[in-house]
Amino acid sequence: MTVPAPQAQGPSDARPERPRGPVARLVRRELELARATLRGWGSLVARAWRLRPPGPRLAAIAFACGAGIVGAAAIAAQTRLPSRLPSARDWDAVRTLVARDARPGDAVLLSPPWAERAREVLPATAPVLSRARWSGEDLLGVRRVWLISIPRSPGFSWDLELDLLERASRSAPAESVGAFEVALLDLAYPIVPLAFLPDRLAGAHATLGGVPCAEDPAGGFRCDAAAAGTARVARDVREIAGAARPCIAATFPGGAPLELGFPPVRVGRVVRGHVGGVLGAATAAPVRVAVVLDGEEAGAAEISGAGWLPFQIDTTRFAGQPREVSLVLTTPAASAALCLEAATLP
Amino acid sequence: MSLPDLARAAGRAVLPSRGRLATAWALATSLALGALAGAPGISRDEAAVLAAGAADAARPATPLAPALAGVAGAAGTRAGLSPVRAARLGTAAAGALLSALLALAAWELSGGAAALLAPALFWLAPRHLHAGLVATPDLALAALALAAALAWRRALRTRGRAAMVRGAAIAGLLVGAAVLARADAWIVLAALAVHGLGAAALARRSRDEDDASPAAERDAGEPPPAAVPGVRRAAAALVAAALAAAVVAVAGWPGGLVAGAAAWLPARGEAPLRAALVPLLAIPVSLLWAYAGGAVHGVIRIVRAARRRPPGVAASDDLLLLCGAFAFLAAAAISGAPAGARPWLPAVPFLALLGARTLVAASVAAWPRRATAVVSSVALLVLYPGLRATAVAFPLGTSAWNELAGGAPGAASAGLPRQDGGDAVARLLPALNERARAGARVWWPGVSPSALAAYARGGRLRADLASASAPEEADLAVVALDGGSRDAEYRAWAALRTARPAAGVYRDEVPLALVYARPGAWR
Repeated sequence: MTVPAPQAQGPSDARPERPRGPVARLVRRELELARATLRGWGSLVARAWRLRPPGPRLAAIAFACGAGIVGAAAIAAQTRLPSRLPSARDWDAVRTLVARDARPGDAVLLSPPWAERAREVLPATAPVLSRARWSGEDLLGVRRVWLISIPRSPGFSWDLELDLLERASRSAPAESVGAFEVALLDLAYPIVPLAFLPDRLAGAHATLGGVPCAEDPAGGFRCDAAAAGTARVARDVREIAGAARPCIAATFPGGAPLELGFPPVRVGRVVRGHVGGVLGAATAAPVRVAVVLDGEEAGAAEISGAGWLPFQIDTTRFAGQPREVSLVLTTPAASAALCLEAATLP
Repeated sequence: MSLPDLARAAGRAVLPSRGRLATAWALATSLALGALAGAPGISRDEAAVLAAGAADAARPATPLAPALAGVAGAAGTRAGLSPVRAARLGTAAAGALLSALLALAAWELSGGAAALLAPALFWLAPRHLHAGLVATPDLALAALALAAALAWRRALRTRGRAAMVRGAAIAGLLVGAAVLARADAWIVLAALAVHGLGAAALARRSRDEDDASPAAERDAGEPPPAAVPGVRRAAAALVAAALAAAVVAVAGWPGGLVAGAAAWLPARGEAPLRAALVPLLAIPVSLLWAYAGGAVHGVIRIVRAARRRPPGVAASDDLLLLCGAFAFLAAAAISGAPAGARPWLPAVPFLALLGARTLVAASVAAWPRRATAVVSSVALLVLYPGLRATAVAFPLGTSAWNELAGGAPGAASAGLPRQDGGDAVARLLPALNERARAGARVWWPGVSPSALAAYARGGRLRADLASASAPEEADLAVVALDGGSRDAEYRAWAALRTARPAAGVYRDEVPLALVYARPGAWR
């Protein structure tokens, strides 16, 4: 006799299995698929590992494959290089852009700094400046900067642009011109000199130890003071601290003051300048630079060390009038060869 | 049949004999170098060789390169060649010798395929080809250093003591000749000494192993050495070589005795780390892969031999090649050699031999049944980037940098040199001849006056153009940019009142030489 199975009476306490939604089903199916795929790859890898060739052959295969990969990568790098650099058309386009939109007070800065074909190609209306870094550098007379970058060139760095962004802002996004990226930046505090003294050297006079210097037919002055020695002064451009510096190059003996008197120029609140040793001098000889306005010493700076060293003399009490400016250089060393830049600033 | 046997058999099947192959390489090299020799510019160091003087007062000139250039120049000009091209034929002869030696040595090491590859692994780099096209002594030094190493190897394998000493003396004569090319070549003697002692140690281990198990299995692919060098034999050979080298060096260059220690040391430059990195950035990266693989393979073989495993005493060849390469690389790095190919160039033939052997061995081991196809494919992928770089860089080989450096632009960003002593101005001469005003005075900062005289003698520079001694006296300034100081260029800006070049030479947009002109001086 068969006992009938007990029949369920009434509703069960167990929670009924809810039908899964389509998303859950899809997720579950994908997970299972992924698991199966991983299992398949895993077994393939395990099989490959079991069947791996002996060590020396494996190394040989790795070396041969590596040679192939390195060779292919080298070919790709070589063939891609021209497309990362500006073409003649790119240079033409940038020249047109700068010629059309450049204004007085504009300057072109290059990034990377070696892209100096710009000097040959770009119009003369905007001077081309190139430095490795711009942090701490004056941009005398510049109101706007055309930053011309080649961002895909090998070794490109944004450092230069970051240096500029500390003191300038962009009113419009950078423009792509072929391989170039051209950005126009407005300097927040442009430094526009009232007079840049090296440019006034042609009308100046010089004395060494009180003895007048003769004008040099090649430009500048030659001083031959029997007691003091000889000196040479010229408008020049020299490399100081890795950059071109327009300046007055002066070579003069120690002990005798070298005075450079300029015709009257407008004087503002300060006379600011830099001094650096030329001819690769690691350390410039210590030098005293005195600024004399209308025969009265406004101030002096003692400068020593290497690099492009700044000085600043307060001339507020003389400001507002054109005045005769003299720079008096003295050194306690036997002689000095230096590059001197000075400007009167508002 | 072992893998090296397979490689040799494949080589024998498709290649002529090793003598013919070496001759073919020598002929091809001399023809190519002779044909291309007229194009590169003249650097300061080459100008010093052509003028039989010294480029650097601290390093008096060694006599071999000027003598070679003089002899070749005299013969070449009689044959109607231009003086500069003729003087460079001496280097072409050294290049032919180097190619032949590379082919012969590679054939002996691992068969015909390696003999085909080894010279190509040396020449297909822009700076190496450039060294073969100019009259500087570096390529002759490379050939003589390799010849000395091979003669030394032969001497140590000779059975009789007298024959061994004779062979070592021949190696010493070659070292002495190398010293006449560049004074710091004495470092080859140090490499030979290390090899002699190392080979003796390897031979002793191998002999111990043979004594312990006479039936020990030899690697069938390694030819048994004719003789096993001992420490005393190696010392005797070294003394013979050193004496012969000293005799040749003193007889050929008596001025070297009074020149001071600085003349005998590798050229000093910048920081050692930078000098060590320069070869990594100047050689095409695919060749670097082959060289590095060859060096690692050589080290592994030596370690195996030191553990009394195959290849046994045959690993002394690897030791010799590694010592030859390492001596020059280490000397260049330790002294902080100037950035350029010249200090470490003599190391490259040794690396090329190791690389060729490893390329063939790896290809055969990777797929023995398709060895020829694999060797061809791998060789193509290794050599083609070098060939392309060399063709693109020609004739400005000294301005070439590899893919790791980012080419010339990447190297310029890193502050690496852009050329070797003003040789890039040669590319400006046609424009200068065409557009400079008649009788213009030209200032040439960074260019040797001897180089200018050589350009004028060869008709590459107009005779009416005078040299100015200062920018203030000049109508034109031709400025070579070497990546260093630019003070001379800036002085030209001031004197000529312009910062705008009238013409320029560029490598991948990096300026190498620029012309500045006064108004009216450039038509």
